[in-house]
Amino acid sequence: MEKENIRNFSIIAHIDHGKSTLADRIMEKTGAVTKRELKDQLLDSMDLERERGITIKLNSVSMVYKKDNEQYLLNLIDTPGHVDFSYEVSRSLAACEGAVLVVDASQGIEAQTIANLYLALENNLTIIPIINKIDLPNANVAKVKKEIMDTFGFMEDEIILTSAKTGVGIDELLDAIINKIPSPKGSDTKKLQALIFDSVYESYRGAIIWLRVVNGKVSVGDKIKMLSTNAEYEVVELGIHDPKERKVKTLSAGEVGYLCASIKSVSDIKVGDTITLSKDSATLLSGYKPMKPMVFCGLYPTESNKYNLLREALEKLKLNDASLSFEPETSTALGFGFRCGFLGMLHMDVIEERIEREFGIDIVATSPSVVYEVIKTNNEKILVDNPSNMPSNEKIKEIKEPYIKTNIIVPSNYIGQVMELCQEKRGTYINMDYINETRVNIHYEMPLSEVVYDFFDKLKSFTKGYASFDYEVIGYKASNLVKMDILINGEIVDALSVITHKDFAYQRGKIVTENLKKLIPRQLFEVPIQAVIGTKVIARSDIKAMKKNVLAKCYGGDVTRKRKLLEKQKEGKKRMKRVGNVDVPQEAFLSVLKVDD
Amino acid sequence: MKTENLMEIEKNKLRSAYIHIPFCKKICSYCDFCKVFYDDKKAKKYISALEKEILTSYKNEPLETIYVGGGSPSSLSIENLNNLFKVLKRLKLKDSYEFTFECNYEDITDQLLLLLKKNRVNRLSIGLQTFNSKYEKILNKKIDKDLMIKNVNLCKEYFNNVNVDLIYALPDEKMDDLENDLNEIIKLNVNHISTYALIIEEHTILYVNNFKELNDDAQSKMYYKIVEKLKSNGYVHYEISNFSKPGFSSCHNLAYWNNYRYYGFGAGASGFINNIRYDNTKSVDNYINGKRIVYKEKINKKTEINDYVMLSLRKINGIDKLSFKNKYNKRIEDVFDYKKLVDDKLLMENKNNLFIPSDKLFVSNEIIIRLLDSYILNK
Repeated sequence: MEKENIRNFSIIAHIDHGKSTLADRIMEKTGAVTKRELKDQLLDSMDLERERGITIKLNSVSMVYKKDNEQYLLNLIDTPGHVDFSYEVSRSLAACEGAVLVVDASQGIEAQTIANLYLALENNLTIIPIINKIDLPNANVAKVKKEIMDTFGFMEDEIILTSAKTGVGIDELLDAIINKIPSPKGSDTKKLQALIFDSVYESYRGAIIWLRVVNGKVSVGDKIKMLSTNAEYEVVELGIHDPKERKVKTLSAGEVGYLCASIKSVSDIKVGDTITLSKDSATLLSGYKPMKPMVFCGLYPTESNKYNLLREALEKLKLNDASLSFEPETSTALGFGFRCGFLGMLHMDVIEERIEREFGIDIVATSPSVVYEVIKTNNEKILVDNPSNMPSNEKIKEIKEPYIKTNIIVPSNYIGQVMELCQEKRGTYINMDYINETRVNIHYEMPLSEVVYDFFDKLKSFTKGYASFDYEVIGYKASNLVKMDILINGEIVDALSVITHKDFAYQRGKIVTENLKKLIPRQLFEVPIQAVIGTKVIARSDIKAMKKNVLAKCYGGDVTRKRKLLEKQKEGKKRMKRVGNVDVPQEAFLSVLKVDD
Repeated sequence: MKTENLMEIEKNKLRSAYIHIPFCKKICSYCDFCKVFYDDKKAKKYISALEKEILTSYKNEPLETIYVGGGSPSSLSIENLNNLFKVLKRLKLKDSYEFTFECNYEDITDQLLLLLKKNRVNRLSIGLQTFNSKYEKILNKKIDKDLMIKNVNLCKEYFNNVNVDLIYALPDEKMDDLENDLNEIIKLNVNHISTYALIIEEHTILYVNNFKELNDDAQSKMYYKIVEKLKSNGYVHYEISNFSKPGFSSCHNLAYWNNYRYYGFGAGASGFINNIRYDNTKSVDNYINGKRIVYKEKINKKTEINDYVMLSLRKINGIDKLSFKNKYNKRIEDVFDYKKLVDDKLLMENKNNLFIPSDKLFVSNEIIIRLLDSYILNK
């Protein structure tokens, strides 16, 4: 295909604004799939994605579209729709020349609409704004049009009205894609530069790289090199998806496809990296960043004999998810497990759910933590992703924590509540943009740890669900942080340690000790629960000794009944973790998270 | 014959029989035992069914204890009582035996007591539960203190071995209420007292009427009060819930707690023969129609040992280490690794016994579970 007839584009949208349905409709229209083949939301291939209505792993599809006797190759590159994956989104966008910006006709602009649009603009993409779901009874096209014009500066005649559900406006959209989005610029004769924007794992072929050739050509049999790692491979297979897999001999500048090179794991592939030819190296394309997990937590099997199964599950998940990190960790309270790193909270939730659902392993997750930068009194700098590894307070000169900048879009009558919440979460006010007369985008700088803790849940309840939220990480700042330990019966329970702002420690300690008191059943002796900073006790509550657990009645000679009653109790105990002499139920380890105040 | 085989035979010897009479004139609100309203004709049929069961299963062993419980065995008419004893004549007794018959205090008359005495009964168990008439409605039971005292005294004229039952931790019961009950019961000067904290079981009237048990702290306080008071009045505390004058502990209940074998005859009765524990149908009609065992389990060695431990620790003296060794051919410390429990003062040990310290009796389940968890055989 001539380069002039290729269009590489993405669809960007806030969650639930209809991105996946739109992609389906475009594929149907171009004849890439027939209606019969079209499962709902074809691009979301994982069950969990379809269930949550979100796209986690991206894919791309190539479609041939005929217009005015001219054939065009449309490469639709899908993007994950969540802030956790914003780096992956930005690399997918970097593989495109244009993006379709979808806004829901009843919801209007939301936080991710803005975040994704900015990512697209950073990559110099041509934007085609569309208002989708215009068939909905509560669609307010005029209002949403005005929002798009006022917020982003589009002209009214640039905005296309669609209903992905009924197919209205799809032809017009395809015309705009062809007419407005530029064809790829690169040259086949330059040195090979191919951008990696995704990878998936297959047991037979190993890691499969998704790439966009920016300059040059790559062919089966070529020796290639990854520019960030200098790893070299030989190309075994090249192809595209239309959406069925179709092998090709060569991919040239401007084209999008996949590459196999007997690569064992996706961990050897860095999204954003540049592929070049070994014998004739080019330079790294801009925008590459090594992916760094932002949130860490400990994952432990509920039954300790499942440790090896958990490791196998994590290894399998990692094959297809280079951003997941894990290493063995031992907790005195929970036994053997893994310290796992995630891109964000959704990523963490999804991995936990997949372990339980796909691998059938019950797990206990410790309270999630961000990565702290600690400067010790000897000026040594260390990174701490597990509160129990925090050095003792007297050895710490300074602790820095990651900060974010928020996009919080709410109806303006909730401004007060949102500001109160952000203030409470140690936020610093920056400014506020009006989307229209009734909705605003509020910007705060806030520690990421507050978001990880309970910010999102609180935001939802403070705004009755009307707020949409997105953020970008802006760097590290020093904070007045302390490590708070929890002692059960005088013993530190490492899995319950948290790092918290000094001003919040007292309150948090009080809540955690009270929660634990409610969750831990009475034991044979009185059990004190203390929250401490260093050696100073900041909160305490005591679980009184158990007073009664006896089969007082004789039940005639019905010994079986007695035995069964005891066995039931025994089973209950098995589900608990023994900490020193105290039986602690699994829920207790989550109690540090649940703070309803 | 090898000693091991002899031990096996000795261990499996049937020594006791429980006979269940599931008839009552009135249903107490807390009762979850197998029972129906008294019906003369049905009772007659029931006794015939009982005879059939005894004829089928009983192998003519001379027994050491018989216990006729209910329901209310004393609710039977004189005619049916005579029928019953005609059937029970089939059970042989050793020279020295204990034959207990449960009585409702309202049923007690000279005629009844004479009839029982004539028919080998030598121990009575009377369910008084409380003297406090404020519980009449809640318990759905007539509470006539004067009649209780009169009739227990009448029993004592005919029998020197009388037990009375006391229930505590009744809805809203206060320490003073308990003290009054204890004072009255001590005045009766009977040889045996059983006390039970009220359990509100599912399928009881109390449960349906949404009554709640007293909190654990109150129950515990009451329990230890009872122990202290009865002990200071000359009773020996020999099992978690049982007290007796010296030499009058219940042989029949001890048979359970020593994990001995016993027959269970009648609807809702449980038995333990050889290595089989079984439960009879709880339906009186089905029983009359010939239905017997509805649940059966084979007790393997580990379960047998666990049951032995669970039951023995109900006794204040706990596990007799020598009996354990004789029964199972192993020392208890080779079967359970309980050293930590002794260190933590959850168990106490002397040369002969392993037992639960008196201040931990009311949390004995916790300790039993831990001991059972320390099983180290075949690991």
